[in-house]
Amino acid sequence: MRTVYLAGAVLIVAPVLAACSTPAPDPQDMARTTTQTAPADLQLTCASAVATQASVDANKVLPVGSSQIDATKYQVELNAAGQRYNCVIDNAGVVGSVQKA
Amino acid sequence: MAEIWRLRGRRGWAAALFIAVGLGAALAQAGSTTQIFDPKTHKWINYDRKKARQYYAAHGQVPDAFRRQIVPFRTAEKPGTIIIDGNQHFLYLVLPGLKAVRYGIGVGREGFGWAGIVRVGRTAEWPTWTPPAEMVARDPNAAKYANGMPGGPDNPLGARALYLYQGDQDTIYRIHGTPEPWTIGLDVSSGCIRMNNDDIVDLHSQVQVGAKVVVLMQGAALYKGV
Repeated sequence: MRTVYLAGAVLIVAPVLAACSTPAPDPQDMARTTTQTAPADLQLTCASAVATQASVDANKVLPVGSSQIDATKYQVELNAAGQRYNCVIDNAGVVGSVQKA
Repeated sequence: MAEIWRLRGRRGWAAALFIAVGLGAALAQAGSTTQIFDPKTHKWINYDRKKARQYYAAHGQVPDAFRRQIVPFRTAEKPGTIIIDGNQHFLYLVLPGLKAVRYGIGVGREGFGWAGIVRVGRTAEWPTWTPPAEMVARDPNAAKYANGMPGGPDNPLGARALYLYQGDQDTIYRIHGTPEPWTIGLDVSSGCIRMNNDDIVDLHSQVQVGAKVVVLMQGAALYKGV
């Protein structure tokens, strides 16, 4: 009988404890920096979008800053041959907007 | 600093603005700290030079995230292009099929980070290290090798070097190996990109001279090629 109570207690308490701790990321994601930037491939996708919209050589468009807007979107700032642009992109790599800064 | 305030007129304001932007960039990079996830405590902990050395001594390698691996990578850049994410300490070699090899790297310390679009101008095996004149002037250890340090296991360039060029000009920046593999994941260099020796040998074997190199670094102190 005591074993049943113990098992029940574990079932109730374990999820509560799990909810209090940070879930473990995958091993390849177990490093980060406190500067939260957009993933490199998303920054480059924005660079391609800006090159197309601004009719600038893609080799002259460089992402220079980025930040997370919400759980699914990033804003990327770019320098396109001296002109500043802002790009919004989601986690799936879909560009939402490109605007001159 | 006093000279700044003696500058007058439009040129003075331009100089002051330039210095302010440079300071802002340096501060943006200064605020960045590498962290690793501790599976025992389920907490993110700061990963500095001391912690990195302890980790390497205990495990004989860097944390999982900084080890070579193939990852999904959505890009229009052609295979063979190198993408460096200086903020996150990763170098990507673009592969066909929207994938890349990801390697851990060490990058420029505060004030030495840079960004830009350059190319691999040449490569070398067990390269000679010749410190640049600025480094000779500020670092007595580097001054000993002003005429060049032969390649070998103690050479700061490690087993291979990829020399980065802007057009036909050497930028003085390199992607190279290191005799200090525990520094991968940290902001430690004078602007060069360092990798552990196994990784730079692997990268060197797959890269062509002329390959495009994109260096991303938020808060960079310097821009090249754009």
